Amino acid sequence: MSEKIAIEVKDLHIRYKTVKAESIKKSLLSLKKSRLEEFEAVRGLSFSIKKGEIVGLIGKNGSGKSTTLRSIAGIFSADEGSIDIGDNTISLLAIGVGFNKELTGKDNIYLSGLLLGFTHEEIKAKYKEIVKFSELGKFVNAPVRTYSSGMYSKLAFSITAVLETDIILIDEVLSVGDINFKKKSLKKMKELINDSDRTVMIVSHSIETIRKLCTRVIWIHEGQMKMDGETEEVLAAYQEFMSDEVVDEKQAAKVKREENLLKMWDEQ
Amino acid sequence: MKKFIANVKRYKSYMIYSAKATLKGEVAGSRLNWLWWILDPFLFMLVYTFMAQIVFGKSEPYFPIFVFIGLNMFDFFNRTVTRCVRSVKRNKGVISKVYLPKYILVLTEMLVNGFKMCVAFALVVLMIPFYRVPITWHIFEVIPVFIVLLLFTFGASCIVLNFGVFLTDLANVITVLLKLVFYMSGVFYNIMKRVPEPYNTLLLYGNPMAGLIQCARNAVLNSSHPYYDLLGIWFLISVLLCIFGVRMIVKYENSYVKVI
Repeated sequence: MSEKIAIEVKDLHIRYKTVKAESIKKSLLSLKKSRLEEFEAVRGLSFSIKKGEIVGLIGKNGSGKSTTLRSIAGIFSADEGSIDIGDNTISLLAIGVGFNKELTGKDNIYLSGLLLGFTHEEIKAKYKEIVKFSELGKFVNAPVRTYSSGMYSKLAFSITAVLETDIILIDEVLSVGDINFKKKSLKKMKELINDSDRTVMIVSHSIETIRKLCTRVIWIHEGQMKMDGETEEVLAAYQEFMSDEVVDEKQAAKVKREENLLKMWDEQ
Repeated sequence: MKKFIANVKRYKSYMIYSAKATLKGEVAGSRLNWLWWILDPFLFMLVYTFMAQIVFGKSEPYFPIFVFIGLNMFDFFNRTVTRCVRSVKRNKGVISKVYLPKYILVLTEMLVNGFKMCVAFALVVLMIPFYRVPITWHIFEVIPVFIVLLLFTFGASCIVLNFGVFLTDLANVITVLLKLVFYMSGVFYNIMKRVPEPYNTLLLYGNPMAGLIQCARNAVLNSSHPYYDLLGIWFLISVLLCIFGVRMIVKYENSYVKVI
């Protein structure tokens, strides 16, 4: 494993201004009142991740995990502080990604690829593999709006999985498509994660997932660093901390689903 | 500014591919496919010719070409601005997944509509010998006119794109506003002849679309110079709008995803 640093986050602050999209009438009427309530989701987070590390990000709901991940992906830029990913290519694997629905699957593959920082030639070389992996067949040439939700997420996963970027950010372990595709995508993810050149960050609620996959864990609490270190060490502290927290049903179900998936992972 | 150019370079292939794909997607579903890019302005030209010549009985020399120039230029501006209002929302899927400087969206729209405008102007080129319009070196003077048109469209679209994110009903207002600008731009009448003094000069200089259209007609049809003072003023205003628009986008684009 090289000692090169892949992600460097320094004193990261991210604020949400609670500006909601509103009608003109409303915004004129409320012109006088200050509508800017600020909510700071991430408050001064600093860490650096070496190339090849697999880092888990834990913390309870609303602690700023996903926000951090999205800002590393460049979707939000930092209000204060900095994020440096060098010249690595980066992609965010998340459930329910977006395409331009009027365009065909093929066009969307190229557009996503170009946005992820690949050249036209590189995408062309991998194009067949993406289509094969996504199991779309001749549907790639149909507009994305005609796709079923399964096809949609399969395509999304295939693009990011096949066009292997240097850094992969995973927001909740994916469960995509039917059982066969799930197995296939897990296998692919395992490959991706185990590649020692690839830097991976995983956000998850499931302690089991993190324990199985990560070499290092960062625990975020209310937008600040609570702990950073060896997986077991951090997880033990986290479990103790969370034992008196009330876990709501929805989240429990999510964790359950993830852990079921993990069983499948082992069966591979 | 440096960053802007670097980004445009970086996303160049994305913009071109995206524009191409959009154009392809638009015609894929229709039977006459790309012919619509010519047919659409052509049919509208007939509508306005009917209105002006038959209903109002007011004509201009080379009337079809006269309308065509105005219509093509206005359509370009109109379509780009209208689409930019909702651009961020429409591309929500892409934007919430990867970073993309939002003015790239504006440039992509301009590529799409610019291409359509070029196709429509090909018809103008064909019509010029047909109507025996004298061709002079003045025709090259349309180049500065189009530069100002592009800059103005880009600046206005950037600003509209930014506000379109935060104001949900901006699209309605813009539609009405653009309709007003359309009738004030003299697309199917000659502002200088039909509007009484001093309103005509006021309209010509105050409404950039009216001014630009008139300038282009001067160069192509009347074998004379465009109004260089007008072009100069709007060039400066457009550059300022562009700088302001891009700055605004850079400043607020992080919060777009949080709002939509």
